[in-house]
Amino acid sequence: MKVSRNWIETYVDLSGITDAAISHALTMVGFEVEEVIKTGLPPLENVVVGEVVSYEQHPNADRLSVCQVVTAEGGDARTIVCGAKNFAAGDRVIVALPGSVLPGGFKIKESKLRGVVSGGMMCSERELGLGEDHEGIAILRDRPALGTPVNDLYGGGDTIFDVEITPNRPDALSQMGIAREMAAWFKRDLQYPEIQHNLSEWNGRHLVDTVVSDTPENCPHYRGYSVRGVKVGESPAWLKERLKSIGLRPINNVVDVTNFVLHELGQPLHAFDAAKIRGGEIRVRMAGAGESIVTLDEKKRVLDPGMMVIADGERALVIAGVMGSVDAEVDESTTDIFLESAYFNPSTVRRASRTLGLSTDSSYRFERGVDPKGTEFAALRCLDLILEVAGGELQGRPLVAGEAPLVEKEISLSAAYVRRVLGFELSDEVIVENLRALELDVTETTDDDDEPLLLVGIPSFRLDLYRPIDLVEEILRIHGSDKVPPADVRTRGLLAEDDPVPVYLRKASSLLMGRGYSEVMNYSLGEADVVRDWFGKVAGEVLTLANPLASDASHLRPSLIPGLLQTLAFNAARGQHPPPVFECGRVFREINGAVYEYVSVAFAEMRDPAEGWLKRSPVDFYAAARTAADLLGAAGVSARPHGFQANLSDDVWQKGHAARFGGGEGAQEAEFGLLAPGALQRWDLPGPVVAGAVYFLPEFLKKPVARRRYQPFSAFPAAVRDLAVVAPVETPAGEIAETLTRIGRTVCAEAAFDLEGVEAFDVYEGKGLPEGSRSVAFSLTFRSLERTLTDKEVNAVFDRLQADLQKETPFRVRS
Amino acid sequence: METDLQSIIAEAEARLPALDSMAQFEQFKATLVGPNGSFTAVTKTIGKLPPAERPLAGKLINQYKTRLQALFDAAQERLQAEAEAARLGPPVDVTLPSPDRPAGTAHLITQVREEICSILRKIGFVVADGPEVETEYFCFDALNTPKDHPARDLHDTYYTHPETAFGNVSQKADERYLLRTHTSSVQIRTMLAQPPPVRIIAPGRCFRRDTADATHSANFHQIEALYVDKGVTVRDLKADLDFLFRSLLGADAETRFRPHYFSYTEPSFEVDFRVGHLSKVGSEWMEIMGCGMVDPAVFAEVGYDPDIWSGYAFGLGIERIAMTLYGIDDIRYLYQNDARFLRQFA
Repeated sequence: MKVSRNWIETYVDLSGITDAAISHALTMVGFEVEEVIKTGLPPLENVVVGEVVSYEQHPNADRLSVCQVVTAEGGDARTIVCGAKNFAAGDRVIVALPGSVLPGGFKIKESKLRGVVSGGMMCSERELGLGEDHEGIAILRDRPALGTPVNDLYGGGDTIFDVEITPNRPDALSQMGIAREMAAWFKRDLQYPEIQHNLSEWNGRHLVDTVVSDTPENCPHYRGYSVRGVKVGESPAWLKERLKSIGLRPINNVVDVTNFVLHELGQPLHAFDAAKIRGGEIRVRMAGAGESIVTLDEKKRVLDPGMMVIADGERALVIAGVMGSVDAEVDESTTDIFLESAYFNPSTVRRASRTLGLSTDSSYRFERGVDPKGTEFAALRCLDLILEVAGGELQGRPLVAGEAPLVEKEISLSAAYVRRVLGFELSDEVIVENLRALELDVTETTDDDDEPLLLVGIPSFRLDLYRPIDLVEEILRIHGSDKVPPADVRTRGLLAEDDPVPVYLRKASSLLMGRGYSEVMNYSLGEADVVRDWFGKVAGEVLTLANPLASDASHLRPSLIPGLLQTLAFNAARGQHPPPVFECGRVFREINGAVYEYVSVAFAEMRDPAEGWLKRSPVDFYAAARTAADLLGAAGVSARPHGFQANLSDDVWQKGHAARFGGGEGAQEAEFGLLAPGALQRWDLPGPVVAGAVYFLPEFLKKPVARRRYQPFSAFPAAVRDLAVVAPVETPAGEIAETLTRIGRTVCAEAAFDLEGVEAFDVYEGKGLPEGSRSVAFSLTFRSLERTLTDKEVNAVFDRLQADLQKETPFRVRS
Repeated sequence: METDLQSIIAEAEARLPALDSMAQFEQFKATLVGPNGSFTAVTKTIGKLPPAERPLAGKLINQYKTRLQALFDAAQERLQAEAEAARLGPPVDVTLPSPDRPAGTAHLITQVREEICSILRKIGFVVADGPEVETEYFCFDALNTPKDHPARDLHDTYYTHPETAFGNVSQKADERYLLRTHTSSVQIRTMLAQPPPVRIIAPGRCFRRDTADATHSANFHQIEALYVDKGVTVRDLKADLDFLFRSLLGADAETRFRPHYFSYTEPSFEVDFRVGHLSKVGSEWMEIMGCGMVDPAVFAEVGYDPDIWSGYAFGLGIERIAMTLYGIDDIRYLYQNDARFLRQFA
């Protein structure tokens, strides 16, 4: 909102206060200043009215004239060289005398121009900072007296502060509202405008028979006044100046006055051409379905029954609080007017404004809440000014529907409470002074316990104040929020720990960074095609947003991997070998129709390392499997390879080179390996990609984990035996290992020592083995907690194990 | 006898340096000290000497044995060193770059987030967490946001598909799901889950329905802080924020409160900071974040008694702080993941 310094100075004396101090004050009372604009003519010395007595062609320059100019009645003429051609002898002009400084810092001094000494400059409006007119020098048609300082001609300059008014402060949406805040900040008096005309008397009868509100909940209070015999025309200069200073366009004197009062007091008003009101009535009602009006911006608006209108006996004339129609517009032919000043329900106006996409100065104020008691004074102020600038006479008594809502409140406040919230000393006097500065009515009294108490009466324009805490804010605001004194941190130790989710993500990140993966961040919203192609039709439906803004950001991401691929492709396209990357973030997975928010960590890298002077091997499935297993392990999930399932049915992952962990719907999941070329197509990547991701339900990570207990370990040597097992090629090595472990443990239990480990160390397929089978060699580690094992007892167990394996399973021991 | 021993030493001294493998060495060694070796043969002669001469001869043999062993040790050491060098290949050019990838880097947003979190941990905060998909209750209602506040508009806030149910995001009733517009929702979930006192920071991703440009991003990150205890004051809020900004920006950093409006705090402030070495004009205040004292209406909503407990909350944008601290002029660089950008903050 634009605030004119000149305008607010008609209500509060700000003399001796700089623009910078006002700007600071606005900021510190809570209205951020976005821009400070100086307008009009700044004070200029030695720039005066002069008259061109005569002129002639410059002897040495075709384009220049040598003029004789006087700047005082009967004074001597001075010679001024001038480049303009738009003047004649006898014209009054603006002369900048030597020693003057024009806007922009341009200094005028006596100087020689092509051999002729020029004693000053005749100015264009642009050179004075008054406008863009640079066609020639300014010619003063109304012939002001010679020597008149230019500032007397144009009046003073103004400073416009463009401020942001927070939504809780509708009372500040006016020049008066801002003046009130400035008066409070600078502790100066506030002067309300005085009504000049006697408006308690009127002639004849009102021009409208009745005013009715059919919908008191949406329009609790409506006042209408009649004025006969106005002369619609151009507004006087002062009025136009005020409106223009805050960026408004003057229209005609009656409309201008209503606009002026809106911006002066914050109460929107509407003037109807009384002659255009049909049926002798003004009716506030809800719009009929399909009813339409053509608003003043000449657009046809179709209304709905949720919108309130001001209608006459036949049709809607105004969308209440938003905009009038062309049907009752005040124009040059208007002589009789009907003036509306009303209080409308904020949400009713907001709804209409939103639905129609039509926001006006009026709707903006109504929807934030105008002073419910302000309608009468605003109407009187408006009538007073209409009578002043457009003539006419008040006709009949005001027509009133409803009553102003009862809004005045009284808040009990103790100064001790104020200090308790603030945490620093503020005297009772300062507290009371600051409240009174804001025109709050403070009575000092005592409570039942004889403790001092302040009764604070809240005026109707401050609906935002209704609790003691609200007054604390007011007191601090006017005291100066920047005066909160510095203090030491007071920390009380609380028995609380970081949430396990961020703790896990820190662990996972450092694990991945240690392996050379760099963290990236991609957007959480992705495009429909990726979601559908990668995760299926159902995911495509349930993950869609209700109101996406862009087609490439319409869905919640079900995985971090597409974002990582995007990152790899982006870097490749910029001519750099994509670095190994990882991301931590939330993903959204559809499970049996419902969506679950998962915590995910994913990594991806080009399979082939960057070309270099020394070749490195490509990354393979087993690298991804190790990383995924470690990421699961960091969350306390033990993921041994025999828990991995080969991924054979997926379009995203490469068949035979990818696996998953978990059932796909659980609290902890992983998938990893090579991505299928088909899935990579859309990213135009320079080669195969190895990737992986882990997924956890946050509630899984949040489960409390007991501190680990120490497990004793043996100080005695291990006995190791190697065993090659022949099994069908399709049998996963993990399954054989698990079988060996199971049988081994049983056998060992009887012998009272342990099978410590079963590790695959060789895989062979080919000569010497039956078609369709392979041999997997394992090394089995036996150990006792209590003694060194003898060969004899280990061999006995090892033999037993082999015998049981051949007996219980189709696996064969390779001899 | 001594002559024989001397010639054996001479032979060893002559032959050993010429050997170029351990195999040759072992072979040669056997010709001297093996069962049929010449040195072994000499030692065997002791038995044939008269008993009186034996001690002297034994002493002599021991002296030569020691000399011989020293020669063997030297040769073995040389040969092992040569074999090791051959196994390792020619010396490396230490100025060639390692073909292995360097350690990875943390994203700048993570770095700034962790820096802020560790500063605040020092003054008693712990990290809390909440869902990115939220409901209207936790994101707006419980934070005292008016029913028809523009922030709730479809125009400003992303809502999920009306028929999509979220299995692990709890609702208050059957209010709409949305993408949280601020991490303040974590305040509510935390307070509903535990009694006061509470001192948490909640870093996380937020969403606003903005068209992306140099200063707007469809998602961004905030850190929310909430401190509820007996007797928490405006002055504590200022003290803790001063601590944060001085830790972050240096001891000469200053902060300033300006009144503002947030529905869930009263009084509410915007915080400006200034610090000589950062701002372009040296003394200009820069807006950095919002804060305030928890509004009693919020306490009422979560069942905390506002007559006993008071508290403050603040929220800061991680991108904004990162951009200010590192002089980044376009928020989109933070989501582009250009390797040259990522590496800069390693």
